[in-house]
Amino acid sequence: MYPRPIPPTARTERRLYLVLVIAILVVWLAPLFAIILTSFRSSADVANGNLWGWPTQFNLIDNYTGVFSRTPMAQYFLNSLLITVPSVIGVLVLSTLSGFVLAKYRFRGNMALFAVFVGGNFMPAQIMMIPVRDLMVRLGLYDTTFALIIFHVAFQTGFATLFMRNFVAALPDELFEAARAEGASPAQILRHVVFPLVRPAFAALAILTFTFIWNDYFWAVVLTISDTVKPVTAGLANLRGQYVSEWNIISAATMIVAVPPVVMFFLMQRHFIAGLTMGAVKG
Amino acid sequence: MSSLELRQIEKRYGGYRALRGINLRVEPGEFIVMVGPSGCGKSTLLKSIAGLVQVDSGEMLINGRDVTKAEPGDRGIAMVFQSYALYPHMTVAENMGFGLRMAKRPRTEIDAAVGRAAQILRLTDQLDKLPKQLSGGQRQRVAIGRAITRSPEVFLFDEPLSNLDAALRTQMRVELSTLHAALGATMVYVTHDQVEAMTMASRIVVLNAGSVEQVGAPRDLYSNPVNRFVAGFLGAPRMNFFEAKIVEARLGQVSVETAGLGRFAMPVVANTPLAIGDTATIGIRPEALKLVGNRDGAHFSGAAQLVEYLGRETIVYADAAPLRCIGSDTGTGNVTIHLPGIAQLETGASLQIAFDPANAYLFGGAEQRTLSAPKTI
Repeated sequence: MYPRPIPPTARTERRLYLVLVIAILVVWLAPLFAIILTSFRSSADVANGNLWGWPTQFNLIDNYTGVFSRTPMAQYFLNSLLITVPSVIGVLVLSTLSGFVLAKYRFRGNMALFAVFVGGNFMPAQIMMIPVRDLMVRLGLYDTTFALIIFHVAFQTGFATLFMRNFVAALPDELFEAARAEGASPAQILRHVVFPLVRPAFAALAILTFTFIWNDYFWAVVLTISDTVKPVTAGLANLRGQYVSEWNIISAATMIVAVPPVVMFFLMQRHFIAGLTMGAVKG
Repeated sequence: MSSLELRQIEKRYGGYRALRGINLRVEPGEFIVMVGPSGCGKSTLLKSIAGLVQVDSGEMLINGRDVTKAEPGDRGIAMVFQSYALYPHMTVAENMGFGLRMAKRPRTEIDAAVGRAAQILRLTDQLDKLPKQLSGGQRQRVAIGRAITRSPEVFLFDEPLSNLDAALRTQMRVELSTLHAALGATMVYVTHDQVEAMTMASRIVVLNAGSVEQVGAPRDLYSNPVNRFVAGFLGAPRMNFFEAKIVEARLGQVSVETAGLGRFAMPVVANTPLAIGDTATIGIRPEALKLVGNRDGAHFSGAAQLVEYLGRETIVYADAAPLRCIGSDTGTGNVTIHLPGIAQLETGASLQIAFDPANAYLFGGAEQRTLSAPKTI
């Protein structure tokens, strides 16, 4: 029961299929197009309720410069970068270390420890809301960038470790034995053998965690209040209150917020190399 | 050139004894080949010598230095793996210089060592390539080169040729023997291929179920195996074994009787534990069996069940009922006969088969020790 292409002779089915695909695409992408178009509109258009139609007047440059000149979005954007970049680096470093150890070292409680990492992923964020906020208040980190960095690193490392552990486990054992036999220390093995070979996993994880943390709204709201700390997601929500009628500005801000994960994807894409371990073992 | 000594090496995995009191002394410059069936512990033993497996008890000395607890990198060994285990992201030169780089040796020394190894292994033109751009044979040479650059005291090989195709394996076998002669280094080599064992070894170590069965020069082991296991393990096609009954026992000679073979006398060692009525095993190598023209000269007769023409030799599997082979791989009880050249035989042809009892072996006692008199080589 694998998907078979519809034969070219079945005209009606083919047409029906095409119509269905287009219909789903339209429904799926309509909000995105609405936001893109709205980010081009003038305030007059928005005031007249023209939210879905073609803009009567293009205000592209005004809207996008307005995001930075009339709102604190630049600050939010910077805050987001200051939270996301260190968090992603922290997650990658920790998960590579823990993944390597869990994958290639045999010790008592290896599986139990691994289960803790995996199990942490199943905990719903909501039940931790009050304890985590309370913890950050007591640590004196509430409403600081560090609160979000620490939380994101802790919370993302569980999944990232699962990912890295499985990736490293798939690397041939002989490579590690060969390195040990040649006198490489664990740190040298990590640096010269593991890091170069987990690059594709690294890139994938970087994109995933970057997008996760960048798009996080829940913890941004829970752990921050001031504009100097707030990331873009929480900042956008603020704009809605302040500029309630200016949907064109909010849409432009939304577009700007959506850019970094996309840029990240293209930056990391060249690291997705299939068959990196080719030639390591056997033919 | 260094010696290697193993004393009472024991290794357990849970309740399973993988290595049972291994004792072995390897002289400087020797080429030791360890053979044995799958799961006999030969790879575990090699990894123990390398330090990749920590032994439970016993001592290990390299050149008189106790390395039992030493880290792999501090033992003065270099290992070549069955799967090559090349670092895929490094060039051939980087792969070969890896060990020296980890030891933080100066650049000039690394380059010189890599250059020398590359020259020995004819890899000079390949130094800038990545492993994936090389053929299987070249990859294995790189793996050997990686071992050479560290100029270890002992080389360890873990079935290095078993991933290569037959023609390349023959070629690499010769190259390895040449390399051993050129470097004069001490080498320990694990294989399940007995051609490699017979051709390359100074001495062969036959392992079975975690114990050393016999150690000796290839010719000695082949002609004078200590027990039925070694006799059956070395030699392809395998030795034919028949169940026999002792009907007469004198000093230095016994007479045996087998259904289908009749009764014949064999010279035996002086102190056999055999008595009249005991069962024992007769072993006859396939090449010790001859086809004879008429019934009078024959010990037994049979019918060819399968004939394999290999060009310079022919292997015949004969149904010689009531004579039945025991413990054969196929379980058919057919007798294997190895003939030189091309023997014109049709399947089903009736055969008259003879052998010289002096070429037969007798195994008996609880451990199936060899009781027949030693063969002169």
